[in-house]
Amino acid sequence: MSEIQNYETPNSVSEAADILAKGDVTILAGGTDLMVQVDAGRVEYKSTLMNIRRVEGLRGISDEGDHLRVGALTTITDLLESDLIAEHGTILTEAADAFASVQIRNAGTIGGNISNASPAGDTLVPLVVLNAEVELASKPNGSIVTRTIPIKDYFTGPGKTKKEDSELLVAVIIPKPAAGFVSTFDKFGSRPALDISTVSVGLGGVLKDGALTDVRVAFGAVAPVPLKATATEAATEGKKLDEATIDAIAATAKDEVNPIDDVRATAWYRKEMIESSMKKVLRHVSK
Amino acid sequence: MPTIEKESLIGKRVPKMDAPEKAAGRTRYVHDMNLPGQLIGKILRTDRIHAKILSMDTSAAEALPGVKAVITAKDMPAKMLGLNNDNPPLKGDKVRAERDEIAAVAAITEEIALEALKLIKVEYEDLPTLFDPRESEKEGAPHIQESKDSNVCMEFEYEHGDAAKAETEADFVIEDTFKLHYVTHACMGVSGVIADFDNITGNLTLHSNTQVPFLHKREFSEVLEMDPSRIRIIQPPIGGGFGSKLDIYPFEPIAVILAKKSRCPVKIVFTREEEFMASPTRQPAYINLRSGVKKDGTITSRVFDSLLDNGAYTSWGATIPFVMMQTASSFYRVTDCQYATKAVYTNNPTAGSFRGYGNLQATFAIEQHMDKMAEAVGMDPLEFRLKNAQEAGEVTGQGMHFKTCGFKECLSTAGEKSDFSRKFAENNANRGNGNPVKKGIGMASMLHVGGGAKIYPSDGCGTILKMDDFGHVTILTGASEIGQGSETVLSQLVCEELGVPLSAVTVVNNDTDITPWDVGVHASRTTFIGGNAAIGAAKLAKAKVLESASQVSNIPADQLDMRGGCIVRADDGEVIMQLGKLLRGMHFKDKAELVTTSFYYEPPSVHQDKGFKGDVSAAYAWATHVVEVEVDTETGIVTLDKVTAAHDVGRVLNEMSLEGQIEGGIIMGQGYALTEDLLVKEGRVITPNFRDYKMVTAPEIPEIDLSFIETQDGEGPQGAKGVGEAPSICMAAAVGNAIYNATGVRIYEAPYTPEKVYRALKGAVEAPSMAAE
Ligand SMILES: Cc1cc2nc3c(=O)[nH]c(=O)nc-3n(C[C@H](O)[C@H](O)[C@H](O)COP(=O)(O)OP(=O)(O)OC[C@H]3O[C@@H](n4cnc5c(N)ncnc54)[C@H](O)[C@@H]3O)c2cc1C
Repeated sequence: MSEIQNYETPNSVSEAADILAKGDVTILAGGTDLMVQVDAGRVEYKSTLMNIRRVEGLRGISDEGDHLRVGALTTITDLLESDLIAEHGTILTEAADAFASVQIRNAGTIGGNISNASPAGDTLVPLVVLNAEVELASKPNGSIVTRTIPIKDYFTGPGKTKKEDSELLVAVIIPKPAAGFVSTFDKFGSRPALDISTVSVGLGGVLKDGALTDVRVAFGAVAPVPLKATATEAATEGKKLDEATIDAIAATAKDEVNPIDDVRATAWYRKEMIESSMKKVLRHVSK
Repeated sequence: MPTIEKESLIGKRVPKMDAPEKAAGRTRYVHDMNLPGQLIGKILRTDRIHAKILSMDTSAAEALPGVKAVITAKDMPAKMLGLNNDNPPLKGDKVRAERDEIAAVAAITEEIALEALKLIKVEYEDLPTLFDPRESEKEGAPHIQESKDSNVCMEFEYEHGDAAKAETEADFVIEDTFKLHYVTHACMGVSGVIADFDNITGNLTLHSNTQVPFLHKREFSEVLEMDPSRIRIIQPPIGGGFGSKLDIYPFEPIAVILAKKSRCPVKIVFTREEEFMASPTRQPAYINLRSGVKKDGTITSRVFDSLLDNGAYTSWGATIPFVMMQTASSFYRVTDCQYATKAVYTNNPTAGSFRGYGNLQATFAIEQHMDKMAEAVGMDPLEFRLKNAQEAGEVTGQGMHFKTCGFKECLSTAGEKSDFSRKFAENNANRGNGNPVKKGIGMASMLHVGGGAKIYPSDGCGTILKMDDFGHVTILTGASEIGQGSETVLSQLVCEELGVPLSAVTVVNNDTDITPWDVGVHASRTTFIGGNAAIGAAKLAKAKVLESASQVSNIPADQLDMRGGCIVRADDGEVIMQLGKLLRGMHFKDKAELVTTSFYYEPPSVHQDKGFKGDVSAAYAWATHVVEVEVDTETGIVTLDKVTAAHDVGRVLNEMSLEGQIEGGIIMGQGYALTEDLLVKEGRVITPNFRDYKMVTAPEIPEIDLSFIETQDGEGPQGAKGVGEAPSICMAAAVGNAIYNATGVRIYEAPYTPEKVYRALKGAVEAPSMAAE
């Protein structure tokens, strides 16, 4: 068993970045992934455990004119209850609603969900659809440096991201979508609560005269990272969403994914469910 | 003089006596207990499935500071556990399953114990594996238990009449094969024990989660080669017991030997993963059924053949064919029946006892088969069942005597309240409409023992009842409380006799040095058997009290009664004296003995003969469940909307706890039908956690409409029958029937998880077969 040598509770991003700069740090936010993984022996604590929950300014959602800024410590419940999110990113509200259970939603954070980088992470697909970016902070030479990375490029594999060990995820930037933008999320799991997505589908676009433009489609749990579905987007772009078109788009979606078998589902079933979920979200937005 | 009306707690909504402390989180389970000087025991399990152990080196573990004892097979008495004497508590020569215990450590902390396990070195030579019971059965298959002459560990055969001949008289012969999966108990309270030797007397105390303390004590004495009178078993409150605590398991003797070697108390509590992997499962089964039926709907014959996956070791659970047999032979009027069941060894998880004891599997097959027969003869499933259902007074071909039988009332009550026949026809007609979500209604019933079960040489229970000089009553009973509410119901039955309030009763039921013998909590027997024993002791006490009151009051004893903590005149309730005052008088003046003892051994009727003919229980319970589902044909998700259940309970003793028991059983049955699936891949459990092993969660619980059919069983305590297992038994069959009603697709394999249902709707599920490919 790994031993935690230091327990740190920084009060600011700057302090947190200093601690990270020293190296060998495990970051703790809500702990709903981390504790479970450590208990199961899948993850070992590094020598420093840094609890970031006291870091000022990391929790909350603010309106920054052309975008929303969502602090890394914003909980899933905060997302669910936010009017700003409901107005500019319904898809994220829906994902928060389908997320785990009340207890987990109260503890789990958006930063944790992104950093855990599970292909089944429920905020990831909506964030891809919303063209979100993540903001990272570090102190390479004694002063704070931040950079942003589009979320669609952020994930490199299950549990893996472009974030360096010395960086802290501080916020998610969500550009406000254009007028007429609609979006929706469908989480497919076998039960209504406390289920990990077997597959998930996110759809967004500007709806006019029964057709979507600026279409964005993303799939969860069908690839090592949340999948931006460019072929399905192209198949949807500008088309009038009648039943035949919806069927054709759903068939494209099914072909676009190449999932795996695991305890939750076979690859075959995942492809089938992508097709069925795709139909569901298309019908939903076109209504 | 004031008067007191007769008040009864029978049938009332009485909260369970232990509910407040449980709700407040005050209950101290074995997990919460720690004895002075206690060590933590941890078990090393093999990383192979089937292998010879070539060598084991524990020296590094022994040398680790903080380790107080390391044991291997060499430290254990040579005795085996299990019904077939096939399970060494620690395996020395060979491992046969993922769970297999090969060494154990006691250390001052859990971390050190775990560290020590890692230091134990083992060398193996792998052996060929068997994961399919159909392969195990084959000639030439490797023997998993090398000392046995085949892989068949248990075999039951039975017949009455001549099924082959009767089949020739049928207009239709229906044949089906069904397949059942692994599920596990998933008790909130995992397996655990603390073994504590008195180092001066050598006496052993076990703080144990067992459901069968007295049998345990005896088995321990055999396994440990100890004098049984030196073993005391104390049961802390048990966090759920559905049969997984019916046998003695390797971890228990392991804890004892660790305690012996370290000379310290040793506690072993499973992790959740261990519980999933190493506690017993329900038997997976293949069941083949062939029945003949005449055009008018009369069943002529039934042939039942099944194969159970036992795993590598044999628990009491291997005797479930005994219960399955009753459902095959006696549930409906079947004049000619032939029955065979085999349990075979495999390298899979070990199966054991589980609420319903084989009846979930048998009923899953028979009740779906019944729907197919009804369809063949063109009858509504309810009408077809009513035609073949048993009635009171019947003696079945197997010799079971149904003195009371509410089967037909269960069928018609659940049928009418759910509007079954109309909805059944309507859903049938709607199958072809374009709606992707289809509605279905399905029915299934069940027969189970409701008056104890004559499995052991005795099915008895003893009670000691003590009255103190303030009118307080203590019931010392052999019947354990495992969360089912037995304390409360036994108290109610005693209050009914002695006219004292519930608050004047204490139940002592958890210490083999104090309480009289009982066979254990299983077979839905505690209310019936323990209840009758308690009533017996209370009646004796009442006679003594009234006799004494009669002497004091000069009123004949038969004109007196006990009510509201007083002695009253029976006809008008006039208070004669306070019970406490009378008892003090008896206590201090008379040499009256204010302790009474009684026992109940279900009617001393004969046991079944060698051919399994005869009664197995003093009473039988019946039930019908109608379920309503929605099947989403685009995803395969089956949503259970409503359950309408009718249960022949004999008599309602405590309405609230009865509802709790039945609702809980329905939900357990729902899990078996729809969500719970312990996946085993090449002998390894791949869903050993609550994320992947899906218990039913609160939003999935359906609307439940319960009816109680009161048949007033002559032998039952106040007319009641046992219901502990009944409600989980027929859910899976009912859901299977409802899915068929919704979609026209019969799925022969449980559970009805979304992917399986979806595949079946696409025609991509092959019907199971008793023969291996
Ligand atoms: C019962 C249960 C149900 C669940 N259901 C769902 C579900 O339905 N959908 C779903 O998507 N997830 C689910 N999860 C997973 C989990 O709750 C979420 O991923 C949650 O958002 C994690 O957030 P957290 O704050 O708890 O992360 P933590 O566990 O604290 O951290 C997770 C990881 O991220 C790192 N980290 C956290 N914050 C930062 C930061 N600001 N910068 C850099 N690294 C950071 C940590 O070091 C750790 O590696 C469930 C978990 C449980 C236990």
